[in-house]
Amino acid sequence: MIRKFRFLALLALSALAGVAQADRLDDIRKAGVLRVAAFDSNPPFGFVDPKSKQIVGLDVDYARELASKLGVKLQLVPTNPANRIPLLSANKVDIVLANFTITEERAKQVNFSIPYFASGQQFIAKKGTLKSADQLGSLRIGVDKGTTNEIVLREKYPGATLVAYDDTPFAFTALRNGNVQAITQDGPKLIGLLANVPDKENYEIPPFSISDDLIGAGLPKDETRFTEYVNAFLRELEASGKAQKIYDAWFGPSTKTPLTRIFRIGDK
Amino acid sequence: MDFSVIADNLSYFLLGAWPHGPLGGAALTLVLSISSALASGALGLVLGVALATTHGPAHQGLVLALGFFRAIPVLMLIFWTYFLLPIVFGFNVPGTGTVVVALSLIGGSYLAHSVYAGIASLPPGQWQAAAALGLRRADALRHVILPQALPIMLPSFLNQWIALIKDSSLAYVIGVGELSFVATQVSNREMVYPTEIFLFVALLYFIICSSLELGAGAIARRYGSAEKQT
Repeated sequence: MIRKFRFLALLALSALAGVAQADRLDDIRKAGVLRVAAFDSNPPFGFVDPKSKQIVGLDVDYARELASKLGVKLQLVPTNPANRIPLLSANKVDIVLANFTITEERAKQVNFSIPYFASGQQFIAKKGTLKSADQLGSLRIGVDKGTTNEIVLREKYPGATLVAYDDTPFAFTALRNGNVQAITQDGPKLIGLLANVPDKENYEIPPFSISDDLIGAGLPKDETRFTEYVNAFLRELEASGKAQKIYDAWFGPSTKTPLTRIFRIGDK
Repeated sequence: MDFSVIADNLSYFLLGAWPHGPLGGAALTLVLSISSALASGALGLVLGVALATTHGPAHQGLVLALGFFRAIPVLMLIFWTYFLLPIVFGFNVPGTGTVVVALSLIGGSYLAHSVYAGIASLPPGQWQAAAALGLRRADALRHVILPQALPIMLPSFLNQWIALIKDSSLAYVIGVGELSFVATQVSNREMVYPTEIFLFVALLYFIICSSLELGAGAIARRYGSAEKQT
């Protein structure tokens, strides 16, 4: 009886030890697949290409480079902003590459790589309605659920009425219909949005931003070795010029959304 | 209104990325609906018969379990199965499987009560007459009770299955690429055609649900008239 109990205890202990020693980097190589959570509705970071019907975008290019460096296949898991942390916690993906802003609050639940992109929180409104940040406190503003934009706006402009939408097109439709007077998102994303709007002359992105956000890859909590691997990978990508190439493919001068590159991987 | 956005993306709405990727769109909605309709039908039949034939604590336990599934929203069950099972039990369920299981469990719980009500609606004399003919309870159920009770239940089954087709759209919450999910993807890329896109999606759901209704009506008429002839 005692021997049996001891055997069970040993079994339980070795199982625990197995959990503690598990290393995601080894798991990925063993499985031969890198599972990446990417946006499927967020041009130009991650969206469904009309021709190939596959998810493409800036974040997807980073995912592809990482998978090829690891020598494994890439599996993209579509995500919305709110599912990014649950997907990591539930071990549904190995890494989140979905315009993921680095915050202290999120860092309690996930590991972050060094930043590979930077943006500021901006607004889009019908021409002439929004001139300066001082007006924000008195407006109805559409935000995307589960984004840092929502949190920052609540903190800095408690007077503003916030309406949370599932995603940016819903928020933008609300703006078109007059349900809200402005919507907020990361600047590069708003520029991408405006580029697709047929009556873009009626809208504007006022030239101010209310935050500086650094975008990083989200990794499982306490996977230090994997995090360092991704950091080294990002620095390498910058050094080889590939990071610039990826940026130019989506924000370069010949694209629909030309935007000067103000942040390089490794910048502080 | 500019419906060219529908024509340009028609195959994506209907099939998703297939054949160069996983099946999605309306086809996946059909697959999800048909598999959960079959599973919930079987589950409902078995549990409904169990409700009708059990007594005491077993019956109470069953009522309680069914009550649990009838009380939680489908969305919650999908969300918790997908995200919480792996965290708590280290048990990983794929997205499509999660949706089918959630829809089947909840649909089955509703149908169990319909089946129970259908069986209970028959006069007790039917059971007694079957017993007087020397039929065992299982045979009485199969040859006497269910053939009379099932046609009574058909409208309830139909209601539940139609609700289930529409509930399959809740798969969006865990990123399963069924019809409303791929429609959102296209809407998010095109940005300014949500009216056109979601009108079209509503039309597709209408077509799917009314074909089920028409199909079931045709079967019921054929079944009914065959019965009258004998």
